[in-house]
Amino acid sequence: MEFTRRDLLAGGAALAAGTVLGGPAVAAAKKSWFAGTAVDNNVTWKRTNFDAIDPAWRRQIVKYYSPEPAGTVVVDTMHHFLYLIVENQTAVRYGVGVGKEGFKWYGRANVARKALWPRWTPPPEMHERKPGLPQYIEGGAPDNPLGPRALYLYRDGADTGYRFHGTLEPWSIGTDASSGCIRMFNEDVIDLYQRCPIGTAVQVLPHIADNAPKKG
Amino acid sequence: MTLRMHSLRALAFGAAALALAGCSTTSLEPPVPDVTNAPAAGFANMQPGSEEDFILNVGRRTYFAEGSAALDSVAKTTIDNQIAWLKKYPRWFVKLQGFADDPGGDAAMNELSRKRAEAVMNYMIAGGIDANRLWAKGYGKERVVRDCTDAACRVQNRRVISNLREEKDGAA
Repeated sequence: MEFTRRDLLAGGAALAAGTVLGGPAVAAAKKSWFAGTAVDNNVTWKRTNFDAIDPAWRRQIVKYYSPEPAGTVVVDTMHHFLYLIVENQTAVRYGVGVGKEGFKWYGRANVARKALWPRWTPPPEMHERKPGLPQYIEGGAPDNPLGPRALYLYRDGADTGYRFHGTLEPWSIGTDASSGCIRMFNEDVIDLYQRCPIGTAVQVLPHIADNAPKKG
Repeated sequence: MTLRMHSLRALAFGAAALALAGCSTTSLEPPVPDVTNAPAAGFANMQPGSEEDFILNVGRRTYFAEGSAALDSVAKTTIDNQIAWLKKYPRWFVKLQGFADDPGGDAAMNELSRKRAEAVMNYMIAGGIDANRLWAKGYGKERVVRDCTDAACRVQNRRVISNLREEKDGAA
């Protein structure tokens, strides 16, 4: 955040001094979806410019009234929110992006596995939709759509195929976009990874548009 | 239009709830509606260096594997983040509260929860936090977050909470 402000200030100063950095350049800097880089487990990645993000999608602590006990993750794909229930009827709320496919089911699962900079293996249906995809993309590669973390959802001991993961496209948070499961800002999936021990209960709310069958 | 009606109703409901509760306020700010998705108390206007900042941007909880007080890489990352924040905001003291929900009797749980709290405290001291700012206590199986025998419940209870305090006190 500080980086961004300094950038803008520098841009403003340059403008005042009448250098080659003109108005359009400053405007472009304001609109950038990224703000500098950070290093995580030896991988350099681009930080999200949260000044360019609708405040509704930023991580925040909200009131949350639910019969679910603390420690549960609730996914509301319809409204593009993921809640981690904490104490005193509050939750950490994250904005999420949802694959166009949505969730094909609703009900309960748990976080059975977590990974740092996971390798991405496109599922068969994705190869059908986008012919020419590689068999896999190494973790930490700049074009790996999972980003810095993945949390794998299992039900009754079996992989549901669904994950919470990061994104290369911060503008897709808050939308039903492209493919994939539940995508979060990279900063947020790093945060969620820290807050969810293996075994964490997950409840996926029905997504009315899906007509999804209930499972689990 | 529907949305505006909805928020007006929510506001009216919030005001009515406040009146019913017999609360009086001299503030001219509209009451925050007491509904899901409203900002939690203290978070609407969060300041850097506040307890709310710590809860939202750092996180208070460190988790442990069954029967263990060892810090794994995830736990160390959480505490590293806490250490960085505590160095930036040296006015805070921290009470480390350990909990357990593991196989074993009450005495074993008390011991394990104390060891967990001390593990976090020692890691903070090794990371450069003044030992005088920290103290640790084990609570055994008290104050469970989720009370059931499923893994989903028990993992939540195997934790240390880094509880910010404005002064050092010995009380629970």
